[in-house]
Amino acid sequence: MTTTSTKQVPRLDEMTRSELIQYLKDTVKPEEGMIPSYIFSHPKVYELEMEKIFLKDWLFVAHKSEIPNIGDFVTREMGGQSVIVTHGADGEIHVLLNVCTHRGMKLCRMDNGNQKNFTCPYHGFNFKNTGDLIGIPFQKVVYGETMDKSKMGLKEIRHDVYADLIFATLNSEAVSLEEFLGDIKWYLDLAFNRAEMEVVGLPQKWNVDGTWKLGSDNTISDSYHTLVSHGSIAKLGLVPTGDYSKYGYQIYTGNGHGLNLGMPNPDGFAFPESLIDEYKERLNEDQYDILKQMKNMIVCVSPNIMILISSMDLKGQKISHTSLRIWKPTGPDSMEISSWMLVEKNATEEWKRLSEQAFTLTFGASGIFEQDDTENFTDITQNSKSPYHLHENIVFNYTMGMHQEPVEDFVGPGIVYKDKFNEANSRAFFRNWLDQITAE
Amino acid sequence: MHEDIILQHEIEQWLYKESELLDQLNFDGWYELLSEEISYTMPLRINQMEKSKPDYSEATLLFDDDSTTLKLRIDRMKTDMAWAELPPSRTRRNVSNVKIKEVSENEVAVHSNLLLYRSRSTDTTADLISGERKDVLRKENGDWKLVSRWFLADQTSLGTRNLAIFV
Ligand code: FES
Ligand SMILES: [Fe+2]
Repeated sequence: MTTTSTKQVPRLDEMTRSELIQYLKDTVKPEEGMIPSYIFSHPKVYELEMEKIFLKDWLFVAHKSEIPNIGDFVTREMGGQSVIVTHGADGEIHVLLNVCTHRGMKLCRMDNGNQKNFTCPYHGFNFKNTGDLIGIPFQKVVYGETMDKSKMGLKEIRHDVYADLIFATLNSEAVSLEEFLGDIKWYLDLAFNRAEMEVVGLPQKWNVDGTWKLGSDNTISDSYHTLVSHGSIAKLGLVPTGDYSKYGYQIYTGNGHGLNLGMPNPDGFAFPESLIDEYKERLNEDQYDILKQMKNMIVCVSPNIMILISSMDLKGQKISHTSLRIWKPTGPDSMEISSWMLVEKNATEEWKRLSEQAFTLTFGASGIFEQDDTENFTDITQNSKSPYHLHENIVFNYTMGMHQEPVEDFVGPGIVYKDKFNEANSRAFFRNWLDQITAE
Repeated sequence: MHEDIILQHEIEQWLYKESELLDQLNFDGWYELLSEEISYTMPLRINQMEKSKPDYSEATLLFDDDSTTLKLRIDRMKTDMAWAELPPSRTRRNVSNVKIKEVSENEVAVHSNLLLYRSRSTDTTADLISGERKDVLRKENGDWKLVSRWFLADQTSLGTRNLAIFV
């Protein structure tokens, strides 16, 4: 017996750019809670994302505390492009394209360090940590008077800082960082402006065969998965069972940014008591009031930043930890996770130490919460690669909470839903994503 | 000399036994090999200039455990919701270049290489975690117990989806 079908698998790779964009508009329906499976791994979709999101948006590159001294630098990536973030001899932060202006060699291959100059491994062009080209081997002999060094400095990438977070964009026409962040700033203050914060060490990095989007999607709206994905933690009694992760607010602040705020905290104040004056001084009253009641906060800054404040009871002490990670795309179906841990600079050494331990145990590469998420990201992404998904137009259901109305009585900005079991934020995230990748 | 060879043999056998227990998912058996004072850490490998060795950071730890937190990890594995290891990875630990660095009355400092092969689910590509171990073993009531393990991976960006396994 044979079966025949006249139905064709949509050939996304054979479509023109405008046909592809039309196909996306026809099949991705965020407001109806319908997100088709193919978008989680199709190379054509990824191409659009790289071009229209990662080359255009503001991306996180470093925290100011990572380069406190003149000469300090870290290397980072944005849109597949390596950049050097330096604290230049002029006292300024520079985000420099890590591409030698002579013939394109990757200038610096270190993760971090302190250097006045960067010498290219290929022909030895020498650049200052401000980006200026200052030396060319045998310049007189090989170029005579024809080489104008002042025109051959490293390309400086547009950057700006909010809450000590250094953002950069490869898009010279991007709106200001202020405008891009918008109302999410109010919540970023809780994470990074509540006190002077500093990064501990360097980011941990690991690689997952899952799309970056699942990371952002999970961050912006999915408190619901904790019941099952992280069910082991409840079984161990580390968190109350059942719907502990439901209470609080889900908030969308625009431009693809949003958060889930877990409150109240049944365990009481999770931050160092010794810093209450600092918190009060740096936050407004409403913000401080939220901090007092906060159990956790999971923020997504579009496209690919996750900020997490989480608290737990470790060795008989209430302790919170704060981290920032990026879901860095490394292909249509893969990402590298980089995760930074931060602490209040003025906290006691014991507090810092315990906070670091709590982070490593729960959300570092070996974290007992962390581990289970990557199973979901991997298997969803790998499933979505089957042509069957395109053929049958398999769609994922994002309708949770569609019957709910936002509340008006929350003190912070944004579209606010009471309780966190909702997919409103994902619907908004994918609307923003779709608008971005289908923009002409 | 003779005593050195016996000690070398004893320590090697201990390390092989340990690997076997972990590869067989006998985490309780493994826990028995640990001293109550265990310190279990994994610093971050980084790309740095030759001149600024060591090329790792102790400020960032990928494991930072003691006997309480290791117990927690093991207990978690026993719940039927520890998805990261459901089904469990197939692991194969290859321990080599076992070098005894220091011997005192009841303690030895031993360095070794670990090549950990991890096959996950239906993946056709395997994860390899390679690195160096610095262990301290102490004789407690006649048995060698692990007092500290320090593991430094060779990758700066780990080629594995998580560290739901022990190193
Ligand atoms: S490519 Fe850098 S000096 Fe030639
Ligand atoms: Fe999760």
